[in-house]
Amino acid sequence: MEPYEIIEHTADVGLRANGATLKELFQNAARGMFAIISGDERHDDVTPGTRRTIQIKKEVDALEELLVDWLSELLYIFNKEKILFKIFRVHELNNDGIKGDAYGERMTPGGTAARTEIKAVTFHGLTIQENMRGFSCNIIFDV
Amino acid sequence: MNQVWQGRLEKIDDYRWKIPRSYKPGMKVPGLILASDSLIPSIINDKAVDQVANVAFLPGIVRYSLAMPDIHWGYGFSIGGVAATDPSEGGVISPGGVGYDINCGVRLLRSELLLDEVKPKLEKLVNALFSNIPCGVGSSGDIRVSHKEEEEIFIKGAGWAVKKGYGVKEDLECTEDNGAIKGADPGGVSDRAFERGRKQSGTLGSGNHFLEVQIVDEIYDDKKADIFGLFKGQITVMIHSGSRGFGYQVCDDYVKSMVTALRKYNINVPDRQLACVPLDSPEGKAYMGGMRCAANYAWNNRQCLTYLIREVFERIFNKSWTDLGLALVYDVAHNIAKMERHVVDGKERFLCVHRKGATRAFPPHHVDIPEKYIEAGQPVIIPGDMGSFSYILAGTEAAMTETFGSTCHGAGRNLSRSAAIKRCEGRQIDKELFNKSGIIVRASGRSTLAEEAPEAYKDVKEVVEVVHRAGISTKVARMRPLGVIKG
Repeated sequence: MEPYEIIEHTADVGLRANGATLKELFQNAARGMFAIISGDERHDDVTPGTRRTIQIKKEVDALEELLVDWLSELLYIFNKEKILFKIFRVHELNNDGIKGDAYGERMTPGGTAARTEIKAVTFHGLTIQENMRGFSCNIIFDV
Repeated sequence: MNQVWQGRLEKIDDYRWKIPRSYKPGMKVPGLILASDSLIPSIINDKAVDQVANVAFLPGIVRYSLAMPDIHWGYGFSIGGVAATDPSEGGVISPGGVGYDINCGVRLLRSELLLDEVKPKLEKLVNALFSNIPCGVGSSGDIRVSHKEEEEIFIKGAGWAVKKGYGVKEDLECTEDNGAIKGADPGGVSDRAFERGRKQSGTLGSGNHFLEVQIVDEIYDDKKADIFGLFKGQITVMIHSGSRGFGYQVCDDYVKSMVTALRKYNINVPDRQLACVPLDSPEGKAYMGGMRCAANYAWNNRQCLTYLIREVFERIFNKSWTDLGLALVYDVAHNIAKMERHVVDGKERFLCVHRKGATRAFPPHHVDIPEKYIEAGQPVIIPGDMGSFSYILAGTEAAMTETFGSTCHGAGRNLSRSAAIKRCEGRQIDKELFNKSGIIVRASGRSTLAEEAPEAYKDVKEVVEVVHRAGISTKVARMRPLGVIKG
């Protein structure tokens, strides 16, 4: 099972994320989102030096809401601090919120440039599905 | 994920297709798609038609869930979607019916320049525009504002730029809503949105946003063209941009809160991205206040871009922009929700018209169009892809009676971005455009060029022909690109 794959969408960009566990699904969705942003799908085994902790406390009925919050928070930090995240660790995930770390490198002028501007993470058709191998979902980004 | 539409699409006439309410239980009104026989195959080949049906679930929706001929699969609403809701009947506002790029729109500048004068300097002009207009992913510009000034932009829109000397009052007269929609409330804007808006006035952005130097190559309606100040052989400049990160953040904040509020108002929609609340609810009013701030931010942004463009033209042609005749023809929004008066079944109603990838097209003598265009109708600006034409049309009475004063907004995509990249692998789109049509293209990223390649779009000619023949706007002139700046 691939951690994620980029899927067709006429106007925007879609991502199918998979994970053996929900935490892994959230991690892989973040990896996929940053692969779209950077245009670089290589997986880096070396943990980059800049870390940001994401903690969202919110009571939700559906984990899809937390998935959008988690990805939106990472996107916000990327836009603000220009950190291209590569590695993600979700420590806590339940209907009361999410806590995780993201590791990446700050973009420098003349260095790696972002390829695609993701405007937002949408809820369009977003349903986390449980299957034989774990969990999957399709996420559409507005680009 | 693409799938062919399996439902019933009833052909009403050559340009109208109906989705009956029986297609999906829960549709409050039928769907109506304006398209020709030749556009239908690509329309039913993705999920857009299903999205038109989903929009018909919105509480308080009036008459139809509409789609213009440039319809394609979006998120929540289809791109090219129009829906009017009535607050007096529990009508809702849906941020997904406006989109993240609130008041993404187009403006057209005319000039007194002819091709002979521009051709020898074209490359220099395009290069200067490319280096002077901030563009690309997350670009920020030189126009930085304080928190207080930002609030002023939210309320005054393009009027802020004019006050700063980045334009003249005639620019405001030729902008939809005079460059500032009333009812903007900075209290409805989050700290994050404030922060993202601080450095992005006067920036183009990326993706399908562009700046084009064009030539008017065809006039369809001499009288209206004359009223708009357009003539064959004239050089024009087109700007396509929106509210940048500020608008994305405003939309994002409200979509999230409305997903939660769906339960509170007991609203059922088939897609969470259609999350909505009643227009007269506190959440609905807060969104309208915030969304209008973003709409005004976008008009100010396009005004700041106009200023930067005029500066470049002045330097290249060594004349003032007024001597070059670089005046604004018009500026239209194509992602917006507005309170407007419309007559439905002989009765005037005050409705919230969502236009998601659709342009307002008000007729001659409408109270909301500039005095000087009163006989012609509101100018409608339709950009095509970077290898083909763009059009200027005029609004009509038929648009008022049929589409809540709306028409199409562009060519509409035909291929996904990844399919376009695959199709263009190993090709140099900028060289192809230059060799084939002499068009000079500058882009901040090579992948943008492939994603935005002409074949990724529907034929804009066909889209424009449909709105013209269906009568919801009428062709005035056609422009051909000479130089293109892509974000």
